Amino acid sequence: MPLIETKNIWKTYEMGAAVVHALHDVSMTIEKGDYVAIMGPSGSGKSTLMNLVGCLDTPSQGEYFFNGKLVSRMDDDELATIRNKEIGFVFQTFNLMPRASALHNVELPLIYNGTPRHLREEKARKALSVVDLADRMNHRPNELSGGQRQRVAIARALVNEPSLILADEPTGNLDSKTGLEIMQLFSRLHGEGNTIIIVTHELEVATYADRVLHIRDGMIDRDEKVTAAQKVANGSNL
Amino acid sequence: MIVWEIFKMALYALRVNRLRTSLTLLGIIIGVSSVITIISALEGLSQSIKSELDKLGPSTFIVTRFGIIMGHDAFMDALKRKPIKYEYLEAIEKGCQDCEKTAVRSFSQGEVKYGNRKLRHVFIAGGTANLIDIVDFEIGQGRFHTLEEDRTRSRVAFIGTTVAEELYPGMDPVGKSIKLNGVNYQVIGIARKQGSSLNEDADKIVFVPYSAFIRDIGDFWGSTNIFVKAVSVEKLSDAMDQTRVVLRSIRHVPYDKEDDFGILTADAVMAVFNDVTKYIRMGLIGISSIALIVGGIIIMNIMMVSVTERTREIGIRKSIGASQKNILLQFLFESLVLSLCGGIIGITIGVVLGNVLINLIKMNMTPSLFAIAVGLIISTGTGLFFGIYPAMKAARLQPVKALSYE
Repeated sequence: MPLIETKNIWKTYEMGAAVVHALHDVSMTIEKGDYVAIMGPSGSGKSTLMNLVGCLDTPSQGEYFFNGKLVSRMDDDELATIRNKEIGFVFQTFNLMPRASALHNVELPLIYNGTPRHLREEKARKALSVVDLADRMNHRPNELSGGQRQRVAIARALVNEPSLILADEPTGNLDSKTGLEIMQLFSRLHGEGNTIIIVTHELEVATYADRVLHIRDGMIDRDEKVTAAQKVANGSNL
Repeated sequence: MIVWEIFKMALYALRVNRLRTSLTLLGIIIGVSSVITIISALEGLSQSIKSELDKLGPSTFIVTRFGIIMGHDAFMDALKRKPIKYEYLEAIEKGCQDCEKTAVRSFSQGEVKYGNRKLRHVFIAGGTANLIDIVDFEIGQGRFHTLEEDRTRSRVAFIGTTVAEELYPGMDPVGKSIKLNGVNYQVIGIARKQGSSLNEDADKIVFVPYSAFIRDIGDFWGSTNIFVKAVSVEKLSDAMDQTRVVLRSIRHVPYDKEDDFGILTADAVMAVFNDVTKYIRMGLIGISSIALIVGGIIIMNIMMVSVTERTREIGIRKSIGASQKNILLQFLFESLVLSLCGGIIGITIGVVLGNVLINLIKMNMTPSLFAIAVGLIISTGTGLFFGIYPAMKAARLQPVKALSYE
């Protein structure tokens, strides 16, 4: 059973009289343990696809199965549970709670599924040490560098041991050196068995993945494997 | 325990946004305290009048010349009425089987003197000897006058503590003389301290035998009233009916005319008071409620701003798994905590202010549990009512839109 399976999904927006098809009959599957990049220029529909895959939104038409469950017909609260337990988000702008410590930020997803306090702290500490931030736990986001903030966000994504890590332009707000570190962290997490989807418009970032879905005009334009030669050429072979 | 964690988030948000929180609190404090001030002052006023009337006892009624008169015309008519006379006592005692005791009282205001000390505006009353058994007066020292002294028009006086303290500082007044309207009386007893009520010092009084009062001071303006105590509370209305019949016949009231006298009970006076002040009370509470509504609107407004300001935060929370209910609760808790804290502070201020108001007109009151309960209910209600819409707005935000909000 694939982790993600979309069958002919459409996403349609009505803007006054005009009807815009942000996604146009998209069918794809992603297996457990895959490392996939969704690539495309802005306005291609890649963000819309990410929102649907991440259960932040539901398709206008078609079926979406996550781990064998039909997500496209779920209500808000069921989607919230899936987002909480099965998906870990990493955003371009980090999206941390500005006034909370790193530790508290990482604990937040655990609060919403009712994990008891002592367990919560233990798990959050563990996740922070996975991203090498054990010594920055009590710092607030504004006391951390961009790379450190993104690692807090990754720890938050990891803390519920989700089936999928979904990263939206995770290096977009970072300098290239820090971006490299973050991409290496994702490669390591993939090596430890995590399923990762990265949404990006940069080829260098996409080549860290094993497979690239090229999106254009709301459709999958190309679906290709990243060869070892490409990785070497981009320096993304670890 | 998710609810508790969400409650803590709400508290945290309030603590972090101190200025916003205190402004909102101020709004609700003003609203609640104005309502509570009015309610507790009214409650205190009512209590005060009731305790005053309770001195009469539940089985006692008073026959007066005027009774309760509403309106100018009725008053002009009533002025033509004959005064109540001492002589009715005998007839009432004979004609009213359910009356246990009857007494007469007339009163005036005047100056009392001892040596070169004097006290003005003293309530001087003449009563029959058994008045002390009907009206709730306690003897502190000495005695009240006797039937014999009443019959012989003896010049003896029973005084209140204020009179005793002002005229006889450091002395025992009993046995001393006291000059009422220029006539010398002898002090025979002192009443127990009653305290003040309705701006009247209830201890600035002198009681003398009715007969002596009529001779030395005189009932110039028909202030003579008859006090009747029924045999029991149950027989009160029977006793009142029997007394009415006696009085109508003795005053020759034709069968088709209304009574030319009034019969008052504590309950009746209270009922009239409540009736007369009903609209005033409603109006006052209504006006003060406007402040409360304004407080509620402030909460709503602030919460709306807060939801917009924190759209992104809401998006983040949703993306990591907060349900609609979680978000709703968080914002509802914020407005509830605001309104409850504001309510508690407002109640405290209101009760204190209410007491100050009541003390200005010299009445004693206890903190009104009713006012406190009302305060808690309205502040919680305000928080819920004005908080639910912003909270729902927050809960229903779509995660995608909330996350992309700049």
